[in-house]
Amino acid sequence: MKQCQARVLDLVEVKGGFFSLTLYEPYLAATARPGQFIHLRVGSGVAPLLRRPFSVAGADPAKGTLHLLFRCVGEGTKLLSRSREGELLDCLGPLGNCFISSGAEPAVLLAGGGGIAPLIFLAESLRAAGRELYLFYGAAKSADLLPLEQFLSPGPVVKYATEDGSAGEAGLLTAVFQRALAAGLFPGELFACGPRPFLAALAQQNQRRGYPLQVSLEERMACAVGACQGCAVLIRRNGREDYLRVCREGPVFQSTEVVW
Amino acid sequence: MPFLNVKLGPLELNTPLLTASGTFGFGEEYASLMQLEGLGGLVTKTLTLLPRAGNPPPRLVETPAGLLNAIGLQNPGLEHFLAAELPRLRQWNLPLIVSIAGDTPEEYVQMAEALCREKGIAALELNLSCPNVKKGGVLFSADAALLETLVSRVRLAWEGPLIAKLSPNVTSIVEAARAAAAGGAEIISAINTLRGMVIDVAARRPLLGNLSGGLSGPAIRPVAIKMVYDIYAATGLPVIGMGGIMHTADALQFILAGAAAVAVGTANFVEPHTIPQIAAGLHQYLEEAGLDNLQELVGAAHL
Ligand SMILES: Cc1cc2nc3c(=O)[nH]c(=O)nc-3n(C[C@H](O)[C@H](O)[C@H](O)COP(=O)(O)OP(=O)(O)OC[C@H]3O[C@@H](n4cnc5c(N)ncnc54)[C@H](O)[C@@H]3O)c2cc1C
Ligand SMILES: Cc1cc2nc3c(=O)[nH]c(=O)nc-3n(C[C@H](O)[C@H](O)[C@H](O)COP(=O)(O)O)c2cc1C
Ligand code: FES
Repeated sequence: MKQCQARVLDLVEVKGGFFSLTLYEPYLAATARPGQFIHLRVGSGVAPLLRRPFSVAGADPAKGTLHLLFRCVGEGTKLLSRSREGELLDCLGPLGNCFISSGAEPAVLLAGGGGIAPLIFLAESLRAAGRELYLFYGAAKSADLLPLEQFLSPGPVVKYATEDGSAGEAGLLTAVFQRALAAGLFPGELFACGPRPFLAALAQQNQRRGYPLQVSLEERMACAVGACQGCAVLIRRNGREDYLRVCREGPVFQSTEVVW
Repeated sequence: MPFLNVKLGPLELNTPLLTASGTFGFGEEYASLMQLEGLGGLVTKTLTLLPRAGNPPPRLVETPAGLLNAIGLQNPGLEHFLAAELPRLRQWNLPLIVSIAGDTPEEYVQMAEALCREKGIAALELNLSCPNVKKGGVLFSADAALLETLVSRVRLAWEGPLIAKLSPNVTSIVEAARAAAAGGAEIISAINTLRGMVIDVAARRPLLGNLSGGLSGPAIRPVAIKMVYDIYAATGLPVIGMGGIMHTADALQFILAGAAAVAVGTANFVEPHTIPQIAAGLHQYLEEAGLDNLQELVGAAHL
């Protein structure tokens, strides 16, 4: 982990309110693993005061580039969406742990809404390793879904779902995934990221079948390096419950150890 | 090159810049990001006798120019600290200040006794922003008589420099400072966080898991400076000032108000190098002002 100055190479609005940001920072590009994140300083004053955490959505060590995907939801992300080409962004990273694949085929990735970013990175690295991949990607409505073909190399089977049926299959992502299982999908391992209620429902559903499921959690962060204990989540390990840090012991946890 | 070294009663520091308790862990997290030797000293996360699990999440929320937190003193407890953290902290050539808190005066005393047997601790800081469980939850800082007794009991157990860190959530912080001094504390730390709350409008509920929390960051700076100013005027004790320090000019405000040293908390989260940057800024300021020593500025804002 280092403090780096990443240069903005490219910033585009992919779709209403969704931005794709490409940064030049060779150290981060070489060291970031799927599931890890960086802590970005937006602006230089006191509004916003704290840094903002973003998952790494892709890295190209050869080119020295790092890819982020973010959604404009408040002051910090609005400022970030106005970054200019060539500007330097102060960041800490790479932070946190990463997804660890067991190699069991096929790997199934489940992304709820904004949870897509780290799973794009994971999908690309698993695909490069020749893995068989399924990616389930759901949101409330079609306007909230990113066109994945822009970020993913061909290969993975992608299934879209929207709650209102405006794109892909209609219904909650968890329900769409259930139907796929009923239709004969046998996952070797599952990786998920998204809003906590979605992850909790997925973990609950998965209890009976017991596929290995890794989830990436989000919490509000101050330091993002493990010093402040601000990003705690309750985790059960070795028979006892403790608050662990999403920024240090996480963001990736086994679904069975999270106290939902 | 002008000097930044300061004497706070019995505590001598090469640089008057400390980490504020709870914002730098036990130093390990920031060790890979920066040269810890640049710090004037490291104040640990507050320790309690037994491990504390801390508060339910969410524990943090950003507010205008501030941070509201309710960590709930999550810490591994004294025994783990002595066995696992202290040996590592000793290896860094850095004044170490250990912060402690308890539910009862007895817990403070017991911890002070145990720490007094250890080498390599430059000072003990009493976090007095906790509720006294035996007295219906009144803050230790809020009851002057109780505060004086508590400090005097710790004084008997701890031989080194003793710092009383006061809560601003009291009617008179000056009275608390006087009581701490009467009990035998040589140094006052001020201020801890100000109580606050944020309501999540969508949920129609307080946002933090603990409902309320403590406010830090630039938002509280003027409040903190006034308190440091008043404590200095009333007691003349060496004060470690803190609350929203981000830049050299902020540190200078505290020093001019009467702080002999300052601590940086929330700003570490924003810029891990805040302390070395301010150290360089203070050098430059002294040089430009033609001063040899920072001590000449302490309290200089008082008429
Ligand atoms: C490990 C991690 C990875 C993330 N990866 C991505 C990503 O790849 N793409 C993306 O669009 N978003 C991601 N987020 C969420 C992103 O950090 C927030 O959307 C962003 O901080 C909002 O800032 P703001 O100032 O625009 O919003 P505001 O709501 O004004 O922010 C106020 C405060 O709340 C915090 N906050 C708000 N929403 C969240 C959230 N969902 N999680 C944590 N803190 C939050 C902010 O950091 C800030 O401190 C991630 C969060 C975490 C913890
Ligand atoms: C996340 C966080 C945790 C804190 N934990 C402690 C603590 O354990 N003990 C303590 O005495 N003060 C604690 N504080 C208070 C700080 O030490 C400091 O007094 C206060 O934050 C004001 O300084 P600042 O504005 O520079 O942060 C904490 C503050 C923050 C933001
Ligand atoms: S954000 Fe500080 S410990 Fe995780």
